[in-house]
Amino acid sequence: MIEFIKTLISGLGLGSIYALIALGYTMVYGIAKMLNFAHGDVIMVGAYAGIVAFTSAGLPPVFTVFLSVAACTLLGVLIERFAYKPLRGASSLSVLITAIGMSYLLQNLALMIFGSQQQAYPQYVKLPSVTLGGITIDGITLLTLGVTALIMIGMSLFINRTRLGKAMRAVAEDRGAAELMGISVDKTIALTFAIGSALAAVASICYGLTYVYIKPTTGAMPGIKAFTAAVFGGIGSIPGAMLGGIALGVIEQMAKTYISPLWADAIVFAVLVLVLVIRPTGLMGKEVQEKV
Amino acid sequence: MKKLISLVLAAMMVMSLAACGGDTPASTGKADAGTKAAETIKMGGIGPLTGDYANYGISVKQGAELAVKEINAAGGIAGQQIELSFQDSQGDAESAVNAYGKLLDWGMKLSLGCVFSGETATVVAAAKDDDILLLTPSGSSDNILQGNDKAFRVCFNDSYQGTMAANYIKEHAITDKVAVLYQSDYDYSVGLYESFKAGCETNGITIAEVQTFTEGTKTDFTTQINKLVAADVKLIFIPIYAEPASTFLTQAKGKFGDDVYFFGADGLDGIMEKVAQDVTIADNVLMLTPFAADSQEADVQAFVKAYQAAYNATPDQFAADGYDAVYILKAAAEKAGSTSGAAMAKAMTELEIDGVTGNMKWTADGNTQKNAMAIIYKNGTGSVFGE
Amino acid sequence: MDRVKRVFKNKNAVTLVLLALFYAVIAWMLWSGHITRQFTNMIIPMSMYIVLAVSLNLVVGFLGELNLGHAGFMSIGLFSGCLLSIALSGSLPLIARLPLSMLAGGICAGIFGFAVGMPALRLKGDYLAIVTLACGEIVKNVITNLSITGGARGLNTQPIYSGAKALLPYAVVLVFVTVIVMMHIKKSKQGRAIMAIRDNRIAAESIGLNVTYYKLAVFIIAAFFAGAAGALYGHFFANVKAVTFDYNMSIEILVIVVLGGMGSVRGSVIAAIVLTALPEIFRDFGDYRMLVYAVVLILAMLFTNSPELRSLRENITPAKRIREGFRKRHVARVLSGGQEKGGK
Repeated sequence: MIEFIKTLISGLGLGSIYALIALGYTMVYGIAKMLNFAHGDVIMVGAYAGIVAFTSAGLPPVFTVFLSVAACTLLGVLIERFAYKPLRGASSLSVLITAIGMSYLLQNLALMIFGSQQQAYPQYVKLPSVTLGGITIDGITLLTLGVTALIMIGMSLFINRTRLGKAMRAVAEDRGAAELMGISVDKTIALTFAIGSALAAVASICYGLTYVYIKPTTGAMPGIKAFTAAVFGGIGSIPGAMLGGIALGVIEQMAKTYISPLWADAIVFAVLVLVLVIRPTGLMGKEVQEKV
Repeated sequence: MKKLISLVLAAMMVMSLAACGGDTPASTGKADAGTKAAETIKMGGIGPLTGDYANYGISVKQGAELAVKEINAAGGIAGQQIELSFQDSQGDAESAVNAYGKLLDWGMKLSLGCVFSGETATVVAAAKDDDILLLTPSGSSDNILQGNDKAFRVCFNDSYQGTMAANYIKEHAITDKVAVLYQSDYDYSVGLYESFKAGCETNGITIAEVQTFTEGTKTDFTTQINKLVAADVKLIFIPIYAEPASTFLTQAKGKFGDDVYFFGADGLDGIMEKVAQDVTIADNVLMLTPFAADSQEADVQAFVKAYQAAYNATPDQFAADGYDAVYILKAAAEKAGSTSGAAMAKAMTELEIDGVTGNMKWTADGNTQKNAMAIIYKNGTGSVFGE
Repeated sequence: MDRVKRVFKNKNAVTLVLLALFYAVIAWMLWSGHITRQFTNMIIPMSMYIVLAVSLNLVVGFLGELNLGHAGFMSIGLFSGCLLSIALSGSLPLIARLPLSMLAGGICAGIFGFAVGMPALRLKGDYLAIVTLACGEIVKNVITNLSITGGARGLNTQPIYSGAKALLPYAVVLVFVTVIVMMHIKKSKQGRAIMAIRDNRIAAESIGLNVTYYKLAVFIIAAFFAGAAGALYGHFFANVKAVTFDYNMSIEILVIVVLGGMGSVRGSVIAAIVLTALPEIFRDFGDYRMLVYAVVLILAMLFTNSPELRSLRENITPAKRIREGFRKRHVARVLSGGQEKGGK
């Protein structure tokens, strides 16, 4: 039983990181209708920004966080403006390939600037771990879970309750109609990228505090896992991304503990295939009826 | 529009063909000129300089560069200066074979093979009919040198190392119950684990727990740590590279008793650089290695100092292998009196080299056996175990 | 003369002639020695990427489904085909062994393609994409843990290793078979049915097309050729590991397909050649190699696909003017048609 709870907690810890990254993924997808494969690499940039700000420049933690968020937001908007916006109206696959190219570009730029050796993310937030009945929960895990939940609630409120959120939903629903209603599609999509990239910065902070080491390819694996998580939960759905991320993390850790870490990758993906075959639009995705 | 793309692409194709095809006369010309004494002697290396494994390739490259600089300053090989070209492979066999071709076209006479085992195996096969010696600094997987009698290596082979680790535990009576953590999709790690397992059987050591991870799951070790802690052993064998090891050790910090050793092999080298932000993470790391930057031997000290001056970093095993490889090639070329692969291969089996990674002699199958020492880390400094 | 003209009007024939010329030049260079080692080593992988891209184009371009697991098909074909080839290496010469191995690899991959195609019947778009990615990763994980395939240390294919010269004829045959089959499918009734499903599934169903049959067929055929290409690939590398064939490789193939043009067989062939050669050409950039590659990739996508850049593109290239010139001349010829014929 203790083992089960321990595994569950480690699954929550891993899953909350996936969920946090998946939130940014799913949001960009839901509104801009594109798979931003470079999202994971924006996280990597955010982490390096944190290292530069805190370790190299010696800024206090608050400024470090601010600088990471600012750097990622700026990067996200720039990428959108120069790489994705010119392709609006082109096929979604060509945008996907451009995003992949952008991912290569960011990784190789980081390799040029920071080198291939891993660097330690500064541990400027230290939280005591909580022990309950022989089970220890890491402080950072709790922080990540809290942050992820908060962001999920905040995002849901923002999308559903504010004017800008409404505009986003309108753009997601029907770009042409939204434009006719006086919504600037370009601005709305730019804003989506800004928010999505700011979320990536938050993810970079939680990732750095949890897993410490950062290198130019750090974003690739979490990126692909978060993409999986977002689809698992139903891509475009904000609560779905949270659920998908946590589910993925828990399944991964359970498979490692109770079956074998040898087969963990295969099991995670097999469960994913199974769920998608049963529910073709993910756990919380909307069923879109095809019209003739 | 499609036509336009086709046109542009077709033009690029023709250009690429021309670019690839155009070199031939030039490179043969160079080869002819190579017999003149004043010409440089061309040395090539292949390894990952970009991508996920770039640090290993860069280490080998820098070690080799340093050796080339020293040799050139001392007059080169038989009066000829060495010119080094190190090509990127991203750790990918396909790219490595192309890089090998590129180096041959360039006029390579001495080859540092490749950095990784997979790419080495492929290049070794592709080079079978070329009269060139391949000396891989760090390709350690057992059967990669097969089928080409001009292929040698500087490092240990995996099975020798795994057996040696098991013997070491027995000889020094460290414990008779161990646990293992290895990377199940990485050739080096699996090779070491399997020979270690066999070595444990012959030495009567029980393996109480085996945990694994993969490339895709190398960031989170929580469940593995839980299981390893539960196994309650005094030694955990970790035949993995320094990078995943640093992640594992960081997450394991404080979870194991103070008397638990983390026992690794040469792949673990460089661990101190990886955990530079908190060196106590590597406390109780016991490393069986032919090269240790903290060694007191004069040649090692000189190498480490020169390397630090040149690259502002402490050399790891890969850098030392690259450094030794260049000196070994020099010795073999001088002994053979030519750069012919067949002659150098014969010379290799007669050589005895005292390099920074130890004293080496080679068998005809390309393997070398050298001594290893066990270094134990405490508070960021390494010392020879048991002293 | 008319026949020649007709051949040149037939796009497929032009593609085949160009491809034949390409391989003829390579063969001449290879046997006369006018070729660099770097390029020699690229020939077989290049051919393999042509086959992979053309077969993936069937799924992505013709059927319109995003497949991120093509490398998984290839991996299955590679390991099954090479295991067979290794087992037969003592008893059969290359000329019998390699075609057998490619066939076996193709069939094994085809069976797997069927298994992946099943969920594809229920799933669409990104959900299908993630399922194909998942299947590719499952294949990678399973093969890495099997001992018969050499596990993590990779399959030792030393016994069946062959050089570029020995493998070139087989590669040429495989490329031509793949290209011709794809061209045939594109032109055939079945091909039109597949594209009808892509453009409007419901409409296609309503006119009585069996969507299930066509979707499964596409996955099986694409997997078959990927598997055969894999078996060929395994003969050119002395050590093959399942971890090489991960989603990154699938994405690389997808990049070729998209850059070459969705549904265009010729585009896939040319893009496969160029994209295999590009990182090698960029070697002279040294450390900046992959950086340059990324920039070129992004610029190529922007340049070829951006609606904004279209006018700019047409201004700086002569293509449009040439096309218009052709049209004028054609009209003139039609108008004066009687005279021309009478002259003969």
